Amino acid sequence: MVFSFTYLVMCFIGVAVGIIFGALPGMTATMAIAIFLPLTYAYDLHTSLFLLLGLYVGGISGGLVPAILVNIPGTPSSITTGFDGHPMAQRGEGEKALKIGITASFVGGIVSLLCLWFLTPPLAKLAINFGAVEKFLVILFALTIIAALSKGDMLKGIFAGFLGVLVSLAKNYTLNNKFRLVPEFMEPNMYSGFTLLPVLIGLFALTQIFQEAEKGMKENDFKPTDISSSDDSKKFHFSCLKGNGINLIRSALIGTFVGVLPGVGGSAASLLSYSQCKNFSKHPEKLGTGAVEGLVASEAANNGLTGGALIPLLSLGIPGDSTTAVLVGAFMLQGISVGPLFITQNPDLWRAILMALAVANVFMFIIMFYPIKYIAKIINLPKARLYPVIILMCIVGSYAANNGNMFDVWTMIGFGILGYFFSKWGLSAPSFLIGFILGRDLETYFIDAIQGSQGSLICFFQRPIGNVVWVMIVASIAFAIWDARRSAKTAK
Amino acid sequence: MFKINYSWGNAHWIVPPIIIGVLCFLFLLIVIRRAINCAKTHTPFINLHYHFFIENWDKVKLIGCLVLLILYPLAMQAIHFLPASIIFIFLFNVLFCGVDKLAMIKQGGGLKNEGIKSVLTSLLISVIASVFIWFIFGTVFRVTLP
Repeated sequence: MVFSFTYLVMCFIGVAVGIIFGALPGMTATMAIAIFLPLTYAYDLHTSLFLLLGLYVGGISGGLVPAILVNIPGTPSSITTGFDGHPMAQRGEGEKALKIGITASFVGGIVSLLCLWFLTPPLAKLAINFGAVEKFLVILFALTIIAALSKGDMLKGIFAGFLGVLVSLAKNYTLNNKFRLVPEFMEPNMYSGFTLLPVLIGLFALTQIFQEAEKGMKENDFKPTDISSSDDSKKFHFSCLKGNGINLIRSALIGTFVGVLPGVGGSAASLLSYSQCKNFSKHPEKLGTGAVEGLVASEAANNGLTGGALIPLLSLGIPGDSTTAVLVGAFMLQGISVGPLFITQNPDLWRAILMALAVANVFMFIIMFYPIKYIAKIINLPKARLYPVIILMCIVGSYAANNGNMFDVWTMIGFGILGYFFSKWGLSAPSFLIGFILGRDLETYFIDAIQGSQGSLICFFQRPIGNVVWVMIVASIAFAIWDARRSAKTAK
Repeated sequence: MFKINYSWGNAHWIVPPIIIGVLCFLFLLIVIRRAINCAKTHTPFINLHYHFFIENWDKVKLIGCLVLLILYPLAMQAIHFLPASIIFIFLFNVLFCGVDKLAMIKQGGGLKNEGIKSVLTSLLISVIASVFIWFIFGTVFRVTLP
């Protein structure tokens, strides 16, 4: 059963809460999903997915509110929304800008949903033929592509990814029952290694709280400009989007494409889309001064990411961004593995995901579009009052990850501190998390491959699909080097 | 060179050394890149003026947050979930809203006093949030609580 009233209610709650998280600078969709994941213990995966995908869509969409009204992106993916949205708000066109952004977000979400629907099954079909060699190489490719798109810091990006792999290996190796990388006193708690949920709650929720505490937990002293105007020319009409059809679709597709690439994130999607919009614009000089096309490009792209990031997850088992990496936790909790066989083995679940994304986008539009004047007030919610409750939820969630284990709470605190250090050293937490999630599979496929070839590494170069993946790996590294040099030259 | 000595006994220690090797190689590259950049820009390799924390960082809130986070799980083990949560969520509220507000309580003035209002709000939030989470997670969803 793909549809029920409970699903709709959960999706609605997810979208509404997600919008609040997205609209508060410093809180993200990833954080929302991470702390709400424990709530899904009590539900089946269908119901959980409606809640979590609602949080995902709401969290990404809510970021446009502070970006437009006060020029502070609520989420990293709204980074370019303020470029044109805020000047519009300053001209007294705040409501118009918000509604344009919401409409573009909705279109972006639907386009990416269609891409997810049509692209995932053939990609999964192709991946079914993959042996251990190809699977190992695809994971390696995912790790190198993190580097290729870690703007300016490809070495640190790839370093964080491999560090995540190493940390994921700190556990008992089941085949020969031997521990590795684990101090003796931690062995009783580390039989299966660090649990995913406390690791991601620590990295994405606790780190954020530490950073805010360091800054003094300053309240958002935002005084949003009066968002509505009595002047009819400053009001929103769907005709405001006239001439932006191609821009909408192109931006949504760019967002979807960037979403497919592991570890890249929404900020890259909106930046790429915005720069393409500038290239194609008839009036590029107007971008940045309150042009509708710039706002459309940014918002269509960041919501395009939502469906795109699910494509590699559901076809290859590789999360497209940090938020879908958190979704892996939801599947794991229910004992379902994502990968090439996911759609064939779980057709109901596949349909539920598509339905949940569609419903979440519709709810997002309804919840945000009409009461936008009230939604805008979310940005003034006091963080100092919200964070203690979030800490409480983080502790409860971590403790419950293994049905009641205090070691998981300490794991969460430890990874929160580690994430804080990462932010200081410029290491990417999403890259680390993706490495952490893929690390154990990377090892399994590597061992399987060399077992089949009596230890010979030549097996990694003998399969046609494998060789294609090698070309992609080399190309992604070459692109990373070229892009880093180009960025350095531009900076000069 | 292109062969790995695989046996059942050493299977657990094949991939970790490779990953450690990759990490060392990457670390070396990061160091070399920094050295080249420093040579180009005539800046010292080790920045003696490096500040780990941001300028004017809030020592009380950051360190206080860390200390409370460590004490909170210990308290949960000692006095159970609900009382520990009420106490610690209250403390987190007071800490994040600014401990200086506590000093304002001395000025008196009842509910009009900012300090008293803040403390009462903190107390209210801590009780409602803790009981709500305890009820929703522990009773409705039957999630194991500390």
